[in-house]
Amino acid sequence: MGKVKDKSVAISLAAATCTLLGTAGVSPVQAQEESKWDFNTALLYYGEADGRVQDGSFKSLAQRRFVDDRILSIGFSVDALTGATPNGAIPYDGSQTFTTPSGNSTYTTQPDVIPLDGSFRDSRVALTANWAQPLGRLSTINVGLSGSGEYDYTHFGANLGLTRDFNKRNTTLSLGLAVARDDINPVGGTPVPFSPMGDAVEREDDEDDDNRVRQPNRMSDQRKDVYDLVFGVTQVITRNLLFQFNYSYSDSKGYLNDPYKILSLVDATTGDPIPRTPEPGFDGADHEYRYENRPDERVKHSFYGQTKIFMSGKVLDLSYRYMTDDWNIDSHTVDMRYRFPFNNGSYFEPHIRLYTQTAAEFYRISLVDGTQPFTFASSDYRLGEFDAFTVGMKYGWKTRFGKEMSIRVEYYKQDGDAPADQIIGNQADRELYPDLDAIIAQFSYKFGF
Amino acid sequence: MSRAKITTAITLLIAAALSGCSSMGVEPWERDVLAKEEMQLITDPVEAGIDDHIYFSKEASSGGRGFGGGGCGCN
Amino acid sequence: MNQRFEIRARRVVSIIAVLFVGLLGSASSIATEPAFDVTEYRGKVVVVDFWASWCVPCRRSFPWWNEMHRKYGDDGLVIVGVNMDAHADKAQDFLNEFPAEFRIVYDPKGDLGKQYGVEAMPTTFVIDRNGEIVANHLGFKVKKQDEYEQVLKETLDAGKD
Repeated sequence: MGKVKDKSVAISLAAATCTLLGTAGVSPVQAQEESKWDFNTALLYYGEADGRVQDGSFKSLAQRRFVDDRILSIGFSVDALTGATPNGAIPYDGSQTFTTPSGNSTYTTQPDVIPLDGSFRDSRVALTANWAQPLGRLSTINVGLSGSGEYDYTHFGANLGLTRDFNKRNTTLSLGLAVARDDINPVGGTPVPFSPMGDAVEREDDEDDDNRVRQPNRMSDQRKDVYDLVFGVTQVITRNLLFQFNYSYSDSKGYLNDPYKILSLVDATTGDPIPRTPEPGFDGADHEYRYENRPDERVKHSFYGQTKIFMSGKVLDLSYRYMTDDWNIDSHTVDMRYRFPFNNGSYFEPHIRLYTQTAAEFYRISLVDGTQPFTFASSDYRLGEFDAFTVGMKYGWKTRFGKEMSIRVEYYKQDGDAPADQIIGNQADRELYPDLDAIIAQFSYKFGF
Repeated sequence: MSRAKITTAITLLIAAALSGCSSMGVEPWERDVLAKEEMQLITDPVEAGIDDHIYFSKEASSGGRGFGGGGCGCN
Repeated sequence: MNQRFEIRARRVVSIIAVLFVGLLGSASSIATEPAFDVTEYRGKVVVVDFWASWCVPCRRSFPWWNEMHRKYGDDGLVIVGVNMDAHADKAQDFLNEFPAEFRIVYDPKGDLGKQYGVEAMPTTFVIDRNGEIVANHLGFKVKKQDEYEQVLKETLDAGKD
């Protein structure tokens, strides 16, 4: 069976970092509830429609308090993934055959559907550790490490955070730094950018290679380094109103490609993929496909503002983020949560999130035969232009023994368009952009002693 | 965005925060509401991490959140 | 005799003032009178500790203040805990869990807090036998308990003839 992976499987530094920067610091506590140990655990199901990615995971955060607000946090999570994902090829009115990334076999997709790679199964384990403590009366420091591993990707990172209070603690300045080093070992080897997808080859027994087949046009394993910086100002406005503003800078260097994503080479008039004949005696790709290529650096800037407003027991959480990067992607995110508490300690919290992004400047739906070759090109839908919204509901309650539980169900939809100026010939009749429909379901249990 | 522009922006932001914000806020004993769990900037770090990871995997943007500030302001 | 009567009268007035403020709670819009008058304790060392039910370090400090009260009460140490909660019922929940062996007064409007210039929660002022503020500490750190106790001992010993 082929081993094809969605980039979603790979936890990159940015995700781990942002998690760390976001979770750094003291878990908030009421005066009556200070406990030595606090556990925050969650079971998550994420499932996309149409046989696409499904993820089941368990996550936990354990915090141990020491004297005078010193806190050790240990995070653990395990994910099991399965399902299919768009491989980047463009649909057309015939069937298409692709070689799996491992190079062991092929898979064929139906006419007039956006090609999805075959099923895959993978698991991922991630660990984080963080130490937070006061530094003098008005400052805090936290330091942490993170690591994760899966079949074709490992991540290792470190982070540091500092805060300083001013104006009788009404104003807080914060600074966070994170670095990480990720190692990418694609199944079947790293394809040379823009090299053609070839034939399935005989599997060789090779102990060193861990059953990986060396296909032609493969490079060695790859590496990515990421540097993140967050600078923030938090300001108490009134007794019931809090505001935070953050500026984030992120610089990724190294191998930024998705090694499993391809682009179709299409005819300049019809827009249909150009046929290819595998070598005699071999199965393989039956059209011309090229592996993608992205720049080896990406610099992102984010501007984020959040406010929390208390209104007679109800809490409104409203945030906005603007992101811009040197791949020419701009995005806007608006997120709103409104918590309604009930008398018995339970609450109800609806949630809406709106998102929109522009396409990367090298986003291409296909490569056109006979035209000037591009330096960079990718048809990964995550770099395209789309709108998305999330709508969800959370219900939380306290158990008889004072533990907290909650359930959350959300619906996530992505709706994108291929750039009109890239559509050629028969492509105009087809659904070119893989819209996404997904359900998020989470059960959470918090307890302490 | 050039490095110089970013540095200037951050410096101005710090100056504004320290001077302009010095008149805003509450007395130390008026932080009962801000001390509530539901008034923290990140109410549930595990949930925030889950969402960050989902959206990072499916979109081109990530993160943005910060840490620190708000709360009871004790000690 | 006269002096003792005066002290008693002041005490009665203070208690009435506290009851008055306590009964009216946050609905009160009357011009404020301080919830207690520190001069009634002239000759003793007074610790004025500002606390609130939602303040985690306050929860850590109460058992220790009780210990200080037991240890030095006979030497002339008086501890007054000034509660800053806007609603007295929250303070009562806290006191049910952490009973205080020392006096509690209520300052829901924050007048005493402003008068003393409280800049952190909790804040403790140490007033010597002559009525002068000789020390204050912002916050309560378990690791500094010995340091705090040292200040109390020194203040108690000073001015003793």
